[in-house]
Amino acid sequence: MKTPSIIGQSIPRLDGPAKVTGRALYTNDLSLPGMLYGKLLRSPLAHAKITRIDVSRAKALPGVKDVITGADIPQVKYGNWRLVPQSQDEMALAVDKVRFVGDEVAAVCAIDADTAQRALELIEVEYEELPVILSVEEATAEGAALVHDESEGNVSLVRKIDYGDLEAMFAKADYIREDTFKVHPVQHAYMEPCSCLAASEEGDRVSLWTSTQTPYIVQCLLASTLGLPENNVRVMKVQVGGGFGGKMELRPWEFCASFMSLRTGRPVKFTLTRADELAFGRRRHAMSIYSKVGFSKDGKLLAKDFQVMLDGGAYNAMGPTATFLCGTFGNMLYNYPAYRYFGRHVYTNKPPASAMRGFGAPQAAFAAETQMNMVAEELGIDPIDLRLMNAMQTGDVIPDVATISSCGFKESLEKVRQISGWDEKRGNPKPGKGLGIGCFSFISGGVFNWFNTKYNFSAAEVKVFEDGTAQLATMACDIGQGPDTVLRQILAAELGIPIDKIRLISMDTATTPKADLGTWGSRVTLMNGNAIIEAAGKIKDMLRPVLFSELDLNQIHDVAFEDERVFVRANPKKGMGFAECVYKALRGREGEPLTARGYYTPRNKGLVSPAFSFGAQVAEVEVDTGTGLIRVEKMYTAHDCGVPINKMSVEGQLEGAIQMGLGYALMENLIMDDKGRTLNTTFLDYKMPTAEDMPPGESADVITYEPEGPYGAKEAGEGLAIPTAPAITHAVHQATGYRCMETPITPEKVLRALGKIK
Amino acid sequence: MALPNFQVHQPKTVEEVLDLLGRHRSSVKLLCGGTDLLIKMRSGAQAPEHLVSLNRVAGLKTISYAAGDGLVIGGAARISQVGKNPDVQRLYPGLAHACSVMATVQIRNMGTVAGNLVNAAPSADTAAPLLAYGASLVAVERGGRRQIKLTDFFTGPGLTVLEPGEMVEAIRVPDPPPRTGSCYLRLSARSKVDIAAVGVAGFINLDLSGKVIRCRLALGSVAPTPVRCPEAEAMLEGQDPGPELIARAAAACVRTSRPIDDLRATASYRRAMVQELAQRVLTQSLAMARGGGS
Repeated sequence: MKTPSIIGQSIPRLDGPAKVTGRALYTNDLSLPGMLYGKLLRSPLAHAKITRIDVSRAKALPGVKDVITGADIPQVKYGNWRLVPQSQDEMALAVDKVRFVGDEVAAVCAIDADTAQRALELIEVEYEELPVILSVEEATAEGAALVHDESEGNVSLVRKIDYGDLEAMFAKADYIREDTFKVHPVQHAYMEPCSCLAASEEGDRVSLWTSTQTPYIVQCLLASTLGLPENNVRVMKVQVGGGFGGKMELRPWEFCASFMSLRTGRPVKFTLTRADELAFGRRRHAMSIYSKVGFSKDGKLLAKDFQVMLDGGAYNAMGPTATFLCGTFGNMLYNYPAYRYFGRHVYTNKPPASAMRGFGAPQAAFAAETQMNMVAEELGIDPIDLRLMNAMQTGDVIPDVATISSCGFKESLEKVRQISGWDEKRGNPKPGKGLGIGCFSFISGGVFNWFNTKYNFSAAEVKVFEDGTAQLATMACDIGQGPDTVLRQILAAELGIPIDKIRLISMDTATTPKADLGTWGSRVTLMNGNAIIEAAGKIKDMLRPVLFSELDLNQIHDVAFEDERVFVRANPKKGMGFAECVYKALRGREGEPLTARGYYTPRNKGLVSPAFSFGAQVAEVEVDTGTGLIRVEKMYTAHDCGVPINKMSVEGQLEGAIQMGLGYALMENLIMDDKGRTLNTTFLDYKMPTAEDMPPGESADVITYEPEGPYGAKEAGEGLAIPTAPAITHAVHQATGYRCMETPITPEKVLRALGKIK
Repeated sequence: MALPNFQVHQPKTVEEVLDLLGRHRSSVKLLCGGTDLLIKMRSGAQAPEHLVSLNRVAGLKTISYAAGDGLVIGGAARISQVGKNPDVQRLYPGLAHACSVMATVQIRNMGTVAGNLVNAAPSADTAAPLLAYGASLVAVERGGRRQIKLTDFFTGPGLTVLEPGEMVEAIRVPDPPPRTGSCYLRLSARSKVDIAAVGVAGFINLDLSGKVIRCRLALGSVAPTPVRCPEAEAMLEGQDPGPELIARAAAACVRTSRPIDDLRATASYRRAMVQELAQRVLTQSLAMARGGGS
């Protein structure tokens, strides 16, 4: 069957015009009659016992409707790893002690924001300070204070991977090197700060509009922490201004809004500020990484020993998944005859780290790819040749993980070599200029189910109407990345109707089919796309009989759904309009609407992901050796995301990923003092690259067909955020001789390496 | 946090401004672009009960240049307006550069050069070039007018010699003589939309034989206030500087600087950058002056 023409088209976002003209509604734009304004009181200390809280003066302030502390709420801990209850370590409001600067201590709601703010100032809290732990090294040292009493040595979770004979392979190796790397924390910096609005109804039901990537997870965890049946909690979203992994858990404000709405009977809204987000919000894990690799003298990779400590901050958040995935990303790109991973998730007194675009991979790849470039240099092999020698290919097996069903890695390496002018430019090095490479592989959704959902991983409900239109209902979340458009493209392709004839009902846990695990791990296009294809298939099964009976067709005929017609594939004249077909089918169903549901859960796909993307990126930089300033002149990317469903969307992901990777490598950093207070809480000092910092880019799509993906598609969202930092690091080394082993690369580090600052 | 209650006054003349400043002496601030003031009010750092807007005061936005007399920048002239002014671009390239790269487009369109000076941030981008061009401020109060040399204006971070009830009516910048070169260079981590971690401005005037008659160098972000570098200036005056003298003069600028470690840069990086940028500023300014440019 040929691929429908709508697949691969650059269809502009259907939500685009409303967003660029300011008409799109975000959670903070919503308001309800009688709505109260919520505010959180946060800990000023990184680690302390709460010895006394007195809320009486706050409660007495006119206009204040409710004040709650940890003592008022059900003592139920939450966390996304429901399958491992001891990993659930968080409460919406601190009980007995605070574990980071910003830990939520109390919440108030009042008739307006100013009154709520004044009420916060009237809450008296006394603390007894405890030793503050700000690094994984301190946390794991002998006799360190415990962030959580239950954790041994502040390690909350250990992940091990071990296959092949590591010792024997290292013994065989002609060349071995050991390195340690440190990577720093950065933040999602989504455009929309977190916001939620809760409205109770009928006493014990609550509706919550929230800026989230994972409505179903919020619904379940909210129900368990409120002590309500799951079905009494309804979670909805309007537009979400970005997430990047930072909005995929139950958050304290979601609980507090719901809890106080149930207590007061009035709607309650919380909206965070940018300063809240930067000072207290989720972030990408800082890590300390040890990596030992062994190679034969001709460049064959033999073994790798990879040991990582993740700085998890005060709570697990999505850290356990990052710990798991970091090990998996440590061996995804190349064939390792022997591989050992030892990952530890470590508690510290910092704001919790969690998922962030790449989910453990940007850190793992920074170390692995930088080390690969060091090896290439020492062995005198071109870095691209060294990678080609060891690259994963279609059909390769990652032990205990998966068989790679499609892989365009080698083609990506060849393409990027060509478009970047790699051989020629490296042959004629120019002072202050350098070319560097970094590569990536990423998952298209996770197979793991630590959340322990009882439902399918993804679901879709399709309805068709006699006017020739359709309705798609799905819990899949568009958080700005584009599935509201892409998923409709897939349905349009399946039913053969234009995309504008499809209405979308998205993300309402009460009305869209159960369930969807949310937007993370680059899972939506593949998983929800497959669910839509299944649902559409069932609809077509209901429509096809109409054609057979109306036209008295031989059962051997294939029926096509294209151009708003249903017809005999071999004889397109024989057929009828799509609308007419639906009308006739409805007539035969005694009023029963034409509705079908489709589901997707990956099966027999190993333990990690049903499909893997691959790619390679080259950065071209110029370094001013007087000031140490680095200008990225151009980025070249070749990547395999399977068959792109929407080219423009893929290009958008690539550009956004380069912006994030650039910031990660060169500018962004959360800077903290020795008391655990974040110092840069504005975008003036949390330096994200601006449009003017963006280098021009050139890219090549390496098209593979992924058998598990809808129309052959796989992920294009997160993988691209991985290679930029190692590519820039390599390029800076080529330009100056400075090799960054501890991110970010700053002008000062460059000058120190050049001996210009002592 | 929400803004506290305040009253905005919209006078049409400088006299009315001064009256309002006097009348509400205990809790009043001048408002023009508001790009610094409103941030302070939002954070609760300032809570004036009265804001006197300069936006409708006639004539205060004027930028004028006359050969011999030099440049006069009205107290309410916007940063972007100054940066785009052809006379400023031609004769005061360091100031034009500062006014076209500092902050953001929106802030440059609203903020004023006078406000940038009165706010007295150590990193104020217009301060270093204006110091290098030998600017003075015309301050008015009900009792009269006085001229304040910019070198005498700053007393500390956020502090100036301006009295309560006094406002900056204009900035006067002398006309650069022939055989002058000048420029301003700044460094920040991000290419645009950023605060300067180090800024250096220079002005050099040569005699017919190529010797330096007058040199002014100024630094931003490396001391509690923007500062001039008298030691380096004295080393260059009367000389025909080569690379070696330029390097020594730059080292004198480093001695004048008193940088601190903060989240934007360390003191040692700032010192190295004063050396580097001062050399570049002097080299560029000399080339301009020698090229006969004005």
